[in-house]
Amino acid sequence: MGLLRDWHYVEKAVQIPALAELIREALIHALFVRDDRVLPRDLIADLNRVPPVTVKVKEDAEVRKLVRVLNGQESTVSLGLSAEDYHYFRTQLGVGRTREFGVTMRPRTLLTYDWIVPEQRGVQLDFTGYAGIEFAVDGHRAIAQVGALWKRLYDEASERGHLVPFVPTVPLDFAVGDALYGDAPFASFRGGFASYVNALRTISAYGQRARIGFEEVANYGTAYDLLHAAIPLAGEFFIPLSAALRLEAKPAARKTLTYGFDDPAKLSAGLDRLCRFGPGVNWVHITDAVAAKILRPATPPEASTVQVSLGATTTGIAAKEKALDVAMVGFKAKSSETPNPYDVSADAYRKTADTVARSLFVGEVRVPAKSFGEFLGKVRAFGDQSAAKAGAYANLQETGSVSTYPFFSAPKDRTKVYDLSKGVRAIVTRTPGAAFTSRLAHLWDEEPNFLRRMSLVRSLKLEIDEAHVVQPLISP
Amino acid sequence: MASLDYAYRRLVNTLGPERVARSEFERMVYSHDFASLPKIALLQWRLYPDFVALPQTTEEVAALVKLSDESLLQITPRGGGTGWCGGSVPNRGGVLVDMRKMNNVLALDPDTRTVTVEAGATWKEVEDFVESKGFALPTIPLNAAGSTVGGSINSGSTGFGGLRGGSVRDAIASLEVILPNGSLLKTASQADAGGQLANLTPLFFGAEGTLGIVTKAILRVVPKPEISKPLTYAFPNLAAAARCLKGIVDAALTPYHAALMDRDHFVFDRALEADSPDPTDLALVAVQGSKDDVADQEKAMDGLAAKEQGTKLPPAVGDRLWRDRYNNYSARRLSRGLMVSYNLVPLRRLPEAVEKAMEIRDKLKLNGSVQAHIVDTTTAALDPYVLMDDTKPSGGTALGFVKRMGDAAFKMEGHPMGLGLFLVFNLRKMHGNATSAYSAVKGVFDPRKKINGGKTFEVWTKYPWPGLRSIPPPGMAIGLEVAAILRRVKPTRDRFVRAYEHTKEG
Repeated sequence: MGLLRDWHYVEKAVQIPALAELIREALIHALFVRDDRVLPRDLIADLNRVPPVTVKVKEDAEVRKLVRVLNGQESTVSLGLSAEDYHYFRTQLGVGRTREFGVTMRPRTLLTYDWIVPEQRGVQLDFTGYAGIEFAVDGHRAIAQVGALWKRLYDEASERGHLVPFVPTVPLDFAVGDALYGDAPFASFRGGFASYVNALRTISAYGQRARIGFEEVANYGTAYDLLHAAIPLAGEFFIPLSAALRLEAKPAARKTLTYGFDDPAKLSAGLDRLCRFGPGVNWVHITDAVAAKILRPATPPEASTVQVSLGATTTGIAAKEKALDVAMVGFKAKSSETPNPYDVSADAYRKTADTVARSLFVGEVRVPAKSFGEFLGKVRAFGDQSAAKAGAYANLQETGSVSTYPFFSAPKDRTKVYDLSKGVRAIVTRTPGAAFTSRLAHLWDEEPNFLRRMSLVRSLKLEIDEAHVVQPLISP
Repeated sequence: MASLDYAYRRLVNTLGPERVARSEFERMVYSHDFASLPKIALLQWRLYPDFVALPQTTEEVAALVKLSDESLLQITPRGGGTGWCGGSVPNRGGVLVDMRKMNNVLALDPDTRTVTVEAGATWKEVEDFVESKGFALPTIPLNAAGSTVGGSINSGSTGFGGLRGGSVRDAIASLEVILPNGSLLKTASQADAGGQLANLTPLFFGAEGTLGIVTKAILRVVPKPEISKPLTYAFPNLAAAARCLKGIVDAALTPYHAALMDRDHFVFDRALEADSPDPTDLALVAVQGSKDDVADQEKAMDGLAAKEQGTKLPPAVGDRLWRDRYNNYSARRLSRGLMVSYNLVPLRRLPEAVEKAMEIRDKLKLNGSVQAHIVDTTTAALDPYVLMDDTKPSGGTALGFVKRMGDAAFKMEGHPMGLGLFLVFNLRKMHGNATSAYSAVKGVFDPRKKINGGKTFEVWTKYPWPGLRSIPPPGMAIGLEVAAILRRVKPTRDRFVRAYEHTKEG
């Protein structure tokens, strides 16, 4: 999630004398919607500037060379471009003028919204063609290039007897890299995406290949765990090229059980019991009626649907299912035939993803399982008030949190995104134990400890990216 | 620098005389951790702290850190001292902050399923507390009886429950840390934000106390399992036991813990306790869950073990090993010292790794045991130990074992664990071109290198003079390699060896 640049820009903007009188939130609103009635012309120009050159990456050597050119270690001549391309590249970047150039990664699929402050000048990397996947011969590990699609990884792993433990809570057609420099919501019942990353192959701000973590083993006892501290912001410290992912063995027996609930209180109680279930659960996917209708148009939806992916030995699966039925007591309907969003053909998945992508998403809300039903009701009511029909995709985590992605049937204009995000934040503040973790929520947050942590993260970024090349911070 | 007497008075004013120690004996106790060090090391480092301080509150820790701005004395935080690479040992004297008086379990919140503990509490104390309330810790370090919560977070340890419960890192919801400027930092948000909202907790995991002093931790707890059953299987050799462990992951089973131990461990054990299990290469697998679930897992385990010609041992063996699981290094009582080499290796190469460990041990003519456990679906921890007699000058040559084991782990695409004071030379091998990014972390948090300076990515000596102030890390590697060569050329006949060999042959 590219956050530091936006956060830094906002922090600096509040110090501008002309803007100092604006309250922080009004300033964030003005920046987000690019309000030229409030903001000076220079700031509007910053916000509307886009990277002039996009490079489609095919191999890592290109990225290394590009970074060395952008940070001034090599000249543009070493890029080996044709005369025409060479001229275009230099003209677009304004090479020869006193400018710093940055490099940024373009997410393949963005769940929420673009960064407030786009990459100024510099180059945007497009990794759609950098999509190889390599599986370990005798172990449960894959190295996926950042452009590799999650669905492809999932299917190919399955063919080789592995299980990709993390799934996208919102079933969009994400690439693996979208979790590193975008906002792809990969998670399993047992943890978030980061738990399954052993290492990242990256290019540093000096154009060197730098491996963060260890591809074959976990990263413990090797000084600071920079890998897991940086993963949510990986694209702001390094240029990630591949991720070494920890997979699991495919269980002997797998089953997706679908439970329908019509009572929010029973749903919450069921989820609260389910998060204590223990091993065997791969993922728990929750949808409300609106989301269920999008995922399974042919099936009449329940008010809430919980799908549980179970894995066990062939002899143990029945006992697990029985135990699960007990945990989910209070359900209205149960089925073991309803298809889950992930085990479908790539074409069908893509088709559904296209439909899912039409909704407006505001980001992740973490809600305690006990309060999930109530939270869902509030989001729905808020959607009705805002003339934007609301729904939600969610997944349950072992910790007792439900990672929820509310969405709205509304046009994706920035004003609407901002207003709906604000509404969701208001609901979150009234829900004990809940946290809104969207990019806007990060910018709104003024809790002193959070600000200190962000300030430390920014210092760390400035130390690691001393050359100011990887998504460099910009001041207004 | 203020005089030591002045510094002592200021410390006493802050903590009171009973919680500041400066006697020779007390300082000597803190001059080493679990690893035995030859006396020759004192030529290089001032391993004895000038003072030992025992704070009881976070505010006192902050005051101690601020005091070091006046006294300019280095601060070395320390938990249970169960580390093995000198991370909690002073290198230039200074103030050693022993956190063990901050050992309270503060609160258990059943709603958020977290327990708040002070950093000086041992894992065993925390485990006992949460179990009394119907919960369990998802993961727990190997040396839970002596290892403190803060200590093992700083060493980035692995342990029991990893395959099922994730890493110790994942079990930490948030930390309270006193930073080198004396301020308090909460490393994550109050709510479960899933690693978002600028979560700095991972930076402190494995930091070896170089970024600040952890004073409090909020740990996740899980419901206590209905049944917990240890199973043990004897194998014809250790490689077969290793293949069985790998088979567990390949069969998608998730026992709470799966480990192997070689027969030598039981030979040592028998020399100490006559009723210890018969020496054999074995696997210990602990399964947990409901009655049906445990029965199903046990059946699956029996099948896996049988494939490798494993024989199921009587339940009493498993029960005994499980009861003593936190006391794995009792062999230390046979000798004057013991060295543990912690390494992570790819699980798929575990059979090869255990054979390599035995080969290195035998080549260096050392007495020791090879052990390993599963960490996650890709990783196994290989943690052999060797005995050494550090009262003889040649005893220290056993340290060469740790170097050779670390090199072997790198060759197998794994890595040794821990850097501390003695293993800093591994940092560049671990992180290659990314090493500078790791050094940058220390620069951001502690630019003046007040807390545990001269470790983890550089090696300070006790000498303040230019040119001698620090040792190039590869110099340490050469020293340990020389130790290994000496050990191989002229093996020491350790004091305990006769008794041990008698038992082994008998």
